[in-house]
Amino acid sequence: MPSLFRRHASILLIGAIGLLAALLLWRRDGGGAVLRALLHAWELFLFIAPSLVAGLMLAAALRQLVSPGALGRWMGAESGWFGLMVATFAGALTPGGPMAAFPLVLVLAGAGADRGALVAYILSWALNGFQKLLVYEMPLLGPDFAIMRTILTLPMPMLAGFVARRLPIAWEPPK
Amino acid sequence: MTAGQVFLAVVALLAFGACLRRGPATARKAAADTGRSLLGMLPIFAVALPMAALLAELIPADAAVTWIGPDSGMPGILVASLAGGLMPGGPFVTFPLVLAFAKAGAGVPQMAALITGWSIFAVHRILTWEYPVLGWRFVALRLIAAFPLPVAAGLLAEWTIRVVPVGLGGP
Repeated sequence: MPSLFRRHASILLIGAIGLLAALLLWRRDGGGAVLRALLHAWELFLFIAPSLVAGLMLAAALRQLVSPGALGRWMGAESGWFGLMVATFAGALTPGGPMAAFPLVLVLAGAGADRGALVAYILSWALNGFQKLLVYEMPLLGPDFAIMRTILTLPMPMLAGFVARRLPIAWEPPK
Repeated sequence: MTAGQVFLAVVALLAFGACLRRGPATARKAAADTGRSLLGMLPIFAVALPMAALLAELIPADAAVTWIGPDSGMPGILVASLAGGLMPGGPFVTFPLVLAFAKAGAGVPQMAALITGWSIFAVHRILTWEYPVLGWRFVALRLIAAFPLPVAAGLLAEWTIRVVPVGLGGP
């Protein structure tokens, strides 16, 4: 179970960094500062929790309603901006890390998605995946910043997909 | 709740309603899927949020303000795009670093460039996933097509904050 190991490895790593930070903070500013930070973390959690539940529910419902095969058919070489838009929304709504997203690219390619749509899909997942947005960017950098950056970069995967369709690099999904 | 949160919740309920119309079995599957994802993510939250909050308290303010501060302009955006692309590791490892940059006095446009650069170029992800799964031709396509985007994000953010004041910082 390599993915399981990776998951636990990152939890252990984050935990270790957190513990070290707590120790350093406690030595520098005392226990009050550590408690204040933990209370702040709890407030962050309460702030994100509704969006987290809503985002996961949306992703789960879409997984039931739309199969990747059907999505891929809308993302062919002749799909134009509409296909790039479908790819961009699909990418932003794909939860999970690279172990979930990259294999999906192969599924979409098998269903007929072209290189431009796949470039848009992966970029959209990397740039604006809702999970990363809710778990990291909103709590750490603030909702104002996260929302502004998301709005500004939302159309970028479509532009990049448009460019990728015109680049003279042929790509076939590996068999 | 912010307007964005309300919007997300309404869309999620609409999608769940569409599952219900397909039949109770579909809705049950979607609900079970939601629960599974939630259970999978809670442990990450339980360690990631305290870590982020502790680091935010620990990091000294304004350490890198001359390099990537709000007044560093285009050079700062370039530095931040590059630094973002070179940051190692997934979000678990990288967002503490991002936080360090924010605490060290980075400006809003520079942070936008940094996060966009990291999202697009993340070298570790290319080496461990994209290249093995999709091949170098796909990597080349994506990188060429997306190359100018971090700087573009920084410039767009710079123009945006002249009109709408947006700051960094937790809620």
